[in-house]
Amino acid sequence: MAENSGTDPAVETNTEENAAASATIIKVTVKTPKDKEEIAIAEDSSVAQFKEEISKRFKAKQDQLVLIFAGKILKDGDTLGQHGIKDGLTVHLVIKTAQKSSSGSSQTSASSGPGPSQGNTAETANPSPASNLGTPEGSGPSPTPTQPPNILAGFGDLSGLGNLGMGSANFMELQQQMQRQLMSNPEMLSQIMENPLVQSMMSNPDLMRQMIVFLYSNFNILFLLVKTMELARNPAMMQEMMRNQDRALSNLESIPGGYNALRRMYTDIQEPMFSAAREQFGNNPFSALGGNTDNSGVQPSRTENREPLPNPWGPPDTTTATTTSGTASTTSSTTSSTTPSVSNPLGISSSSLGNGMFNSPGMQSLMQQISENPQLMQNMLSAPYMRTMMQSLSQNPDIASQVFMNNPLFAGNPQLQEQMRQQLPVFLQQMQNPESLSVMTNPRAMRALMQIQEGLQTLQTEAPGLMPSLIPGGMAAGIPGAPLPTGVNVTPENPPPSGQGPAPAPAPTPTAGTNTAQQQLMQQMLQMFAGGNASTPTPEVRFQQQLEQLSAMGFINGEANLQALIATGGDINAAIERLLGSQPS
Amino acid sequence: MDQNDSTFGVQLFIYDLSRGMARQLSPIMLGEHTSIVVYGEEFFYGGAGISSCPPGGTMLGPPDTVVELGNTEVTEEIFMDYLSSLGETTYSGDKYRLFEHNCNTFTNEVAQFLTGNKIPSYITDLPSEVLSTPFGQVLRPILDSIHIAPPGGNVISSQNNHS
Repeated sequence: MAENSGTDPAVETNTEENAAASATIIKVTVKTPKDKEEIAIAEDSSVAQFKEEISKRFKAKQDQLVLIFAGKILKDGDTLGQHGIKDGLTVHLVIKTAQKSSSGSSQTSASSGPGPSQGNTAETANPSPASNLGTPEGSGPSPTPTQPPNILAGFGDLSGLGNLGMGSANFMELQQQMQRQLMSNPEMLSQIMENPLVQSMMSNPDLMRQMIVFLYSNFNILFLLVKTMELARNPAMMQEMMRNQDRALSNLESIPGGYNALRRMYTDIQEPMFSAAREQFGNNPFSALGGNTDNSGVQPSRTENREPLPNPWGPPDTTTATTTSGTASTTSSTTSSTTPSVSNPLGISSSSLGNGMFNSPGMQSLMQQISENPQLMQNMLSAPYMRTMMQSLSQNPDIASQVFMNNPLFAGNPQLQEQMRQQLPVFLQQMQNPESLSVMTNPRAMRALMQIQEGLQTLQTEAPGLMPSLIPGGMAAGIPGAPLPTGVNVTPENPPPSGQGPAPAPAPTPTAGTNTAQQQLMQQMLQMFAGGNASTPTPEVRFQQQLEQLSAMGFINGEANLQALIATGGDINAAIERLLGSQPS
Repeated sequence: MDQNDSTFGVQLFIYDLSRGMARQLSPIMLGEHTSIVVYGEEFFYGGAGISSCPPGGTMLGPPDTVVELGNTEVTEEIFMDYLSSLGETTYSGDKYRLFEHNCNTFTNEVAQFLTGNKIPSYITDLPSEVLSTPFGQVLRPILDSIHIAPPGGNVISSQNNHS
């Protein structure tokens, strides 16, 4: 009964209602936090009657119902019309869960009868005990007193590091200081936004997609670097702050929920970042950049020779790997620790170009993007803060390395860290070099670099014997220099120590460096013809180390590994790529 | 003082995020963050669910704009009941959606509950505005997975009988 008094002035159900006049039925939406229902009721009914309907619909006791409309609590004695409740409007309902102890609401149960006075008193009685309950209990429904600003919790590393060096241990102050500083320099952001190039970029969704991913993957670094601008000026202070920060961060764990929030925020930000970056680049772009994790075994054999020798064929600077090392690890490349020179502002060595760092697909796509969007680099590099940051960093390589090391992207990759660490001072100086800047912004230059890289790669595959000799630049000159006398005669026999650039140091290289490049090249080619490649010890022996590494990495097909290694002249990275190339997966 | 039928002032705190520190740290946060201030507390919704803190006590600092929404008769107790229910259902932490179901959605609903008034429309319209641009479309999948929760508050859970 008394369900939806659908029809007209249905007398039956409305016997209880005020028979004031024909009661128009209105539909009122009653909304709880959980759901909402539409209740039809006579327009002029009282709140009490309304509650009766509601209690049936929501299966709750009338005294549990609290109706709110327009910020007012509807008392049983009121009428709907009094509050202006009309057809189609929404009334909020809160169903009180069984209140603790004295439920003064028991008095309101007399809602059935429209006794205004009683209803009123009941209602007034209701809130007071309720509020009395509220106060003495205090902690009951009200939220626990808020903690002192551990505001840091949600933003994890980013703001953490950013707050260093502010000279205050209190986080709130730190935050405010930082905010103040940033507020005082909003031109930075507005400059970027106002740049018409940026705006035109924004209107191109594809580009934006790439940009976003690029920025995200770099965001950590960029942000940290910007912040360390300040810190770089005061390294001692920063160490101190770092320690304080770490201590404070560890304190966060003790705060209920704080640590979780921290982790969650961190994960929430990191995950989409990485997955987005992964989509774009195929894998973590920065581990791909390193691409040399497998060369760990070869690292010790890196040479220290960094003298730039004027060898127009080889790279201007010698590098890494090869030569002087007893091992036959030819182009162990392990990245470019080449000293940059004017003609090679980024310190890109051919060895590393041919394999390893710059050859990875991630870096390639990055380079492509850069060359396609010169403005991107230009914008990034020309921002004033970028310059100051670079300057500061170059003056304080330790801090820079620390910053880089802390970057979670590098965290799992100690080799990369190592490389970056060594690279840093050089790298930073080069960033200063306006020439390098112009190279980076010049799309043709970038393209040329890429072409060089590709060319070297091809060379490597086509003529693996040639490459290692080329790499060490002048050093290699020495090697063929020694067997020169024999080699020149193009004897069919292949003089054992020849052929391999990295071949044992014994080549005293009396003629090292004195031969003209041309001669060297000639000799190398002749030797190649004469002896083919990879002679001396059998390939298996020579590449034993690499083979071990490859099999450790999961390439169990020893023969294929060997072939790949031979083809690439011992370069593990390129070998891997060959292996992977043959089994697309 | 506040008991017994008197009314409570309700305010809307609007934090403009397009300038200031929060923007720097969370470039993904678009537009405004809002919260409701009543009974001397600030309430807002984020990736952690409904949280509360002293007014202006999140890391966002003091608000950029304060809008008076009016007064409410709803007592704090009833309000906390209401919030608890909300927090268990439609406004739990995992239901947070940066565009469709965010802090402003929450603020709007609470404002209506308390006062019958909505919050200014330019705030609630922001997500649809952004979504209608190509930029927004691009950002959307990334942003959908990101939850914003300005730290500095306590999460309100069903605290009715246990605090």
